[in-house]
Amino acid sequence: MTGPTGSALRLRGVTVRFGERTALQDVNLEVPRGQFVALTGPNGSGKTTLLRAALGFLTPDAGSVELFGSEVLRLSVAERARRVAWVPQEENPREDAPLLDYVLYGRYAHLGWLQGETARDREAAVRALRAVGLEERAGDGILSVSGGEKQRAILARALVQEAPLVLLDEPTSHLDIAHQLDLLSRVRELSGERGVTIVAALHDLNLAARFSDRIVVLSRGRRVADGVPADVLSEELLARVWGVVADLRRDPRTGAPYLLPHHLVRPAPSGPGTFLGKGPVHVVGGGGSGAPYLRALSEAGYRVTAGALHLLDSDLETAESLGALTAVEVPFAPIGDEVRERLRTLLEAATAIVVAPFPVGPSNLPNLEEVRRLLGRVPILLVDRPTGEEWDFAGGRARALLAELRRGGARPVAGAAEMLEALAAEPAASASQ
Amino acid sequence: MHLHDPSSTPPPVRRTVPLAWFVVGVIVAAGVSVAGIATSYALRPGSPSGPLSITDDLGRHDTVPADPARVVVLGPSIMDSMYRLGLRSHVVGVDCYAPSLGGLSSDYSADQVALWNLSSSMCVETGPTFDVEQLLALGPQLVLAATIVSVAAVEQITQTYHIPVVMLQPATLTGVILNDQLLGEIFEVPGASSSLVSSLQSALSRAASLQDNLTANGTPFPTVLVTYSADGNGYWTFGPGTFGQSLIELASGASISANATLPYPELSGEQVLASNPEYLVYGTGFGINESTYAGGPFWSQLITTQGGHAVGMDSNYFTEPDPTMILVGLPQLIAVLHPGSSA
Amino acid sequence: MGATAEVPTGTARGLGRRPWVLGLLLALLGVGVFFSPILGTVSVSPDTVLRILLHQVSGGALFSDPCAGASVPASGCSGLIEIVWDARLSEVMLAVVVGAGLGISGGTLQGVFRNPLADPFLLGISSGGTLGAAVVVVFRIGVSEQNLLLPLFAFVGAIATGAVILVAARSRFGSVETLLLTGVALSSFLSAVLSLLLLYSPTGSLQVDFWLLGNLGSLDWTQDGIAFGVVLVAGTLLATYGRELNLLQLGPDVAQSLGVDSRKVRVRLLLLASVTTAAAVAFTGIIGFVGLVSPHVVRRIAGNDYRLVLPGAALVGGGFLLTARDLSLVAFPGTLLPIGIFTSFAGAPFFAYLLFRRRGASTMGTP
Repeated sequence: MTGPTGSALRLRGVTVRFGERTALQDVNLEVPRGQFVALTGPNGSGKTTLLRAALGFLTPDAGSVELFGSEVLRLSVAERARRVAWVPQEENPREDAPLLDYVLYGRYAHLGWLQGETARDREAAVRALRAVGLEERAGDGILSVSGGEKQRAILARALVQEAPLVLLDEPTSHLDIAHQLDLLSRVRELSGERGVTIVAALHDLNLAARFSDRIVVLSRGRRVADGVPADVLSEELLARVWGVVADLRRDPRTGAPYLLPHHLVRPAPSGPGTFLGKGPVHVVGGGGSGAPYLRALSEAGYRVTAGALHLLDSDLETAESLGALTAVEVPFAPIGDEVRERLRTLLEAATAIVVAPFPVGPSNLPNLEEVRRLLGRVPILLVDRPTGEEWDFAGGRARALLAELRRGGARPVAGAAEMLEALAAEPAASASQ
Repeated sequence: MHLHDPSSTPPPVRRTVPLAWFVVGVIVAAGVSVAGIATSYALRPGSPSGPLSITDDLGRHDTVPADPARVVVLGPSIMDSMYRLGLRSHVVGVDCYAPSLGGLSSDYSADQVALWNLSSSMCVETGPTFDVEQLLALGPQLVLAATIVSVAAVEQITQTYHIPVVMLQPATLTGVILNDQLLGEIFEVPGASSSLVSSLQSALSRAASLQDNLTANGTPFPTVLVTYSADGNGYWTFGPGTFGQSLIELASGASISANATLPYPELSGEQVLASNPEYLVYGTGFGINESTYAGGPFWSQLITTQGGHAVGMDSNYFTEPDPTMILVGLPQLIAVLHPGSSA
Repeated sequence: MGATAEVPTGTARGLGRRPWVLGLLLALLGVGVFFSPILGTVSVSPDTVLRILLHQVSGGALFSDPCAGASVPASGCSGLIEIVWDARLSEVMLAVVVGAGLGISGGTLQGVFRNPLADPFLLGISSGGTLGAAVVVVFRIGVSEQNLLLPLFAFVGAIATGAVILVAARSRFGSVETLLLTGVALSSFLSAVLSLLLLYSPTGSLQVDFWLLGNLGSLDWTQDGIAFGVVLVAGTLLATYGRELNLLQLGPDVAQSLGVDSRKVRVRLLLLASVTTAAAVAFTGIIGFVGLVSPHVVRRIAGNDYRLVLPGAALVGGGFLLTARDLSLVAFPGTLLPIGIFTSFAGAPFFAYLLFRRRGASTMGTP
């Protein structure tokens, strides 16, 4: 456990409460030595609390935190300092100490009582400053250097602690773009070349994806995702956890995923989980037929997805205004293979499907075909179509598909209210994710 | 870069002062203190040389020399007794305030300075702080102290410099008489002391018999306000337990502040008006005179109400427990409160 | 490697350590102690004073008749020796000891609270001490032993107040803000109790005012010794925490992450500072400004490193109080002013000077 193969940081079932509020709920995390973990999540998700628990700054209400095999709270404060170093988000020193002295503060845990700093300590400090590129500035005061340089100096101080685990709390939040890259590359170097274990709380998912080995996502105190960046980052994650609609791309140079944010998901009007509503429920519609159901679902707190819809379709506008993920085709064209793929993804992610009474023609028939593929796997609700009106413009194939759906267990509902009732009765659909 | 290996045992050297050292340090400090106190206590001088054993007004036991030639007197009340006992020549030092802040004249009125032939070369600064050097320079064999600034400082003088200090702070007028007897013993002037004591006693008995007469006739005691200072808020007066109150009672007066809760209360203008005292006596001296009281609330109304019965008297008669209070102050107050009676 | 062990020259005003300043201060203090007994309310010629000092120090070997040729007061040469040696010198020594205690305690509190306006009485110690002294005076406890009981009760009162605050510090609410608020609240409460107590005893009120103003005189060598012993032990222990105080300036969390147990260290520092302050004022009453100004002076001349600031503040504090005593005797000859008044007179403009000089260059950082 404490040998070179043991984990650097291990949280077991850690729960931390501040009065009524639960900051961390039953969190398990294991960070092996030498890994660079990016800890991310929306504001208030518990990232800072997790780091503070790892530092021994607070006592968890349940669970334990171990540093290199020893429970952090059982270690002396000095021993903790030798095992884990901390680069806080923001530090406001009161005195204009020269950088060298500032970095030397990190040697405290290695010095004996009343023992002064030796030449060896000073050399370590100079080396640390060199590692962050501040060697020439060693005599300059901490209050006179720029924000980026100050952050690097703090990193150098963490280095001089010679701790094999370094925790960073939003180290780049006050830095400009150049310094962000600079700092994180140096941190990456630390982990790569020197085998230091890094856990960094980062807001910027793209930076996290680019520099870290592993991304851990926290949401409302729980660990909701954990893995390599390519696996963890997805549009769905961003929408679910952050409430942001984004496009996922791939960085051509690094191969890392990166997200382009667009707009916010409209929060559910009821319930505490504004970004994580119920569902998602997929609505198949078009020509305005889907709008009332999209709205009703959204009002009731469900996340909705929609498609496949053609551009300029009013249902598409409704869907987008609700922040729904959609599958979109160009106007008047039949639904192509790519869009069908997309539709399939949305349908498979859905917890329920609602088929609105939309007029079906050859160009949007594939909607029903794809829905049929999910028969039996997910609850399907068919909104009653008014008798007498013609709605099948696909040569009878639409009716046939609908009949097949009905035979296969799809449930007819008369309108939005009945739809909601039916969904409420379905445990899978109404469960929060 | 060398990383700390967490599997190694932490080094045995402690990083901050261990608790054990801490406790040791505190114990040493305490020990030093206790040792110091004990030594100081043990080394307290057996009483300074002298045949007389005295218990003074604070319950302290002193041994004083017989008839000391060099005496420092701290307090005008004691100076009064010394003078009346013919012991002025024994006095080499008196209490003063800081020279640049009033010196001799802050404790002694001009009349007293002239009468007792005091000069600033006799000063021992007792306020705002106690000056030991001046006391030492005078080389007294005995210090007589009234209400002094710091009992602790006085105690220190006794112990460090072996100068006996007798605290004469009578609580009652009888105490004044007893102290004069004591002074007679110390200075071996029994004749002077007994004649002073008998004049004090006869003054007191005259006052007592007047009171008996009044009580026998059923005459109520006149109500009176005796105030020693005033400001915009009201009048400062004497409450229960003070010499001022005792004097008023002896003079067969009924002070309107006889039932106050504080020893030196300030009565508001309304309170005084409501009590409507028949007599108004205001204390003067040390910068306080009638104009001070003119600044008090409803003063002109109060004077008019009294119809001329507002009288000024030397404040010292009410505050300094000495023979003058009994021999001069008491008869004067009786004359004010009972015009026409023979006192 | 090529890395030099020296701090490269740069633009930082920084910690600016000048340890040799401490040696200089110590020397100055020594000189001050030797020559200060020349000043006093009774006039004694300087050479007589020095002869008496040397006579006493050498146990009578030097200057067998120290008063030769001098004008001798009524009490004779032995009286003169008493004045110079027992009264003045012990007063001078006490000034140094009390000033040192207040100085190092003030420096500690400024470091713990990270506030340049902190002084040794921040934790309500002055109120507790005054109340202790007042109890002795008002209730006339042990008249014959009052010269020992007064300091004892004052010490206990001061320590008890400090202890209450420290109990608050150990609890989970022990943030710096809690400590300060508890100190203020306790101070107000005790002052109110004191006022009530004194309403019923005007003579007591007089004596307590006397105590409150601060007074260096009328003590003997034993009491000096007690004060010296306690201040020495507690002050030395305080000085060993210089490095921890340096780290605490970065903030309690950062200090903790660097290996300083912030809460424990803070409690210990406050305890030691309370003991030092209590011992200093138990014998002399409340003397203000010394603890506030001394650390600032040291920071200007010896740098910001608390390993120097603490002992330096002790030396400066001792010198400051001694100088205040001497100045008061020069400015008001023949009068002895309560030393607390004089330190305020001297301290206030001095502090203003320090503040104005600081404009533009931060010795303790921007608030």
